[in-house]
Amino acid sequence: MPNHFLGVKDASIWFGKREAQVRALRGVSVFFERGTLSLVMGPSGSGKTTLLSLLGCLLSPDEGSVFLEGEVVNGLNEVERTVVRQKKISFVFQAFRLFHSLSAIDNVALGFELRDAALPGRMKMARDLLIRFGLGDKLNREPNELSPGEKQRVAIARALAGNPPILLADEPTASLDARAGKNICQILRNQVDEHGRTVVVVSHDSRWREFADRTITLCDGQVEKEKGSL
Amino acid sequence: MKLAWQNIVHDRARFSVTVLGVSFAVFLMVFQGSLLAGFLRAASRLIDASDSDIWITARGVQAFEFGIPIEGRLREMAAGVPGVLETSRVCMAFAVYRTPNGKQQVVALVGADRNVGKRFPAPDAHGSTEGMSPDAMLYDVSDRDLIQVTALPTEVEVNRHRASIEGQIEGYGAFLGVPFLFTSYRNATRYLAFGPEEAMYVLLRVDRAHSISDVQQSLRQRLPEVDVLTRDEFASKSRTYWTIRTGAGGAILTAAVLGFLIGLVVVSQTVYANTMENIEEYATLKALGASHAFVARIVLTQALICGALGSILGLLAVVPTIRYAKSLISWLYTPWWLLLVMVVPSLAMCSLASIASVRSALTVEPGRVFRA
Ligand SMILES: Nc1ncnc2c1ncn2[C@@H]1O[C@H](COP(=O)(O)OP(=O)(O)OP(=O)(O)O)[C@@H](O)[C@H]1O
Ligand SMILES: [Mg+2]
Repeated sequence: MPNHFLGVKDASIWFGKREAQVRALRGVSVFFERGTLSLVMGPSGSGKTTLLSLLGCLLSPDEGSVFLEGEVVNGLNEVERTVVRQKKISFVFQAFRLFHSLSAIDNVALGFELRDAALPGRMKMARDLLIRFGLGDKLNREPNELSPGEKQRVAIARALAGNPPILLADEPTASLDARAGKNICQILRNQVDEHGRTVVVVSHDSRWREFADRTITLCDGQVEKEKGSL
Repeated sequence: MKLAWQNIVHDRARFSVTVLGVSFAVFLMVFQGSLLAGFLRAASRLIDASDSDIWITARGVQAFEFGIPIEGRLREMAAGVPGVLETSRVCMAFAVYRTPNGKQQVVALVGADRNVGKRFPAPDAHGSTEGMSPDAMLYDVSDRDLIQVTALPTEVEVNRHRASIEGQIEGYGAFLGVPFLFTSYRNATRYLAFGPEEAMYVLLRVDRAHSISDVQQSLRQRLPEVDVLTRDEFASKSRTYWTIRTGAGGAILTAAVLGFLIGLVVVSQTVYANTMENIEEYATLKALGASHAFVARIVLTQALICGALGSILGLLAVVPTIRYAKSLISWLYTPWWLLLVMVVPSLAMCSLASIASVRSALTVEPGRVFRA
């Protein structure tokens, strides 16, 4: 068993009860190396989001294991998984999920607070991060005053607050037009190249292929094919 | 914590609805509570006003207002029991009152010996009535419309005998619509045609050296044909009668309990709805690594701000309302602890309701955050 950075082994998970039960993943084994950007594709309902939830310690598999920095994490309880997420994992969502009542800068500052409540200088770090993403003139805008592309950049800034090593993104460009989408692709690619983060992107969007080191295709809860170096 | 505050400030309309819901609930609880507290107090007001330790009543008397005559010699017999320091008499009966301009009105005439207690309204016991004739009558200021006295003293008629209204008191207003008139015991027996061998309530003061319950026991043995009750026993019997046995009291009691429950439901409901509005954001917080304590703190802070503001608003509205209502319902009573007792449960309900609602956020199904 190689000391993989992040991955699942023989993972299966069921949803629902009795007759209505769905097996969302069927013994999936897939690993992600440190400092890579991987793309997960596949038709709707193939289990992409479920896989991402396992990697992000949001769900535990019914069978099989989840690895993070070489450690098995699926035996952890809810509180321990929360701590793992707090320390190591961040998320980017299709629907942005910004806090609607907070300004852009407060959203990012809250990201810092969630990682480390005692950290001083949150506001300054939040501003620097937003300026880096070209939002220096929109620090005090509320989410509903921002374009979708801007919202996603704020959301990524919030996700990067506190410097997590792992970034998991579910359809991060699905709500964006072509130009904003490309911009997001580039930002996430830079996270790999410049900061050595490990990024997993779930997307239907084939634009991602040129930014990804590797593409995994799921079908009906199983890995259909893998392309690219592991 | 900024999130809690911003959520409130940001959604002003929803916040106002929540605060209004809470203040309505507090208003309702305090108002209904005041009705009940006032009714309870009025139901035993005169019993509580006496300084006596023990009341002797005819067997089965349920309330002060419905006394039955007993033998006058019981008073002498009671006085002979060891530990009895002093005796006094009180009587009460309904009488026909004729106003100065000839209108008739039923009144409750109360007569009391001078030693019944400083707080008890009687012309020769009441502090503010010096220089008044011993047979003077007093009325409560809140009954002015019924008594129709414009100047003091005024000559009126009670049970077709001449009487003189000479004083005005406060806090003993008509209970159930029949105004009280207070006079000396001796005078009252004249109007009520009580014989010298009759009495209604015999009140006893017990020597400090004796225990009240011991004296009560020996009185019970010696006077088996009457009820011997401590003052508090008779007071609570009277209150129970008025609140439980009569329709009027029952209605007030039910309304108070319902007011309290409805208030709690309204508070819980508004806070719960308010929390559920933001449930998606609590799920996001959790996904981003927020601890249960962090999420709970935000929800609680919001709920408590709503609860506190709503309570203040509710109290601000209810205090003047009660003051106005007192001019219509003179026995309405708002003890200070009632305000506290009503605000504490609404704050507690705010917290409980928000905790109940945030449970779904805390046990968030993780797939949720990825759903568009
Ligand atoms: N919480 C859940 N309860 C019940 N069934 C679920 C749940 N989450 C996922 N499923 C089922 O599991 C299967 C895989 O779902 P998943 O969301 O992982 O698919 P997906 O590949 O992300 O699809 P999409 O491209 O539409 O987002 C689907 O059949 C889905 O209906
Ligand atoms: Mg999905």
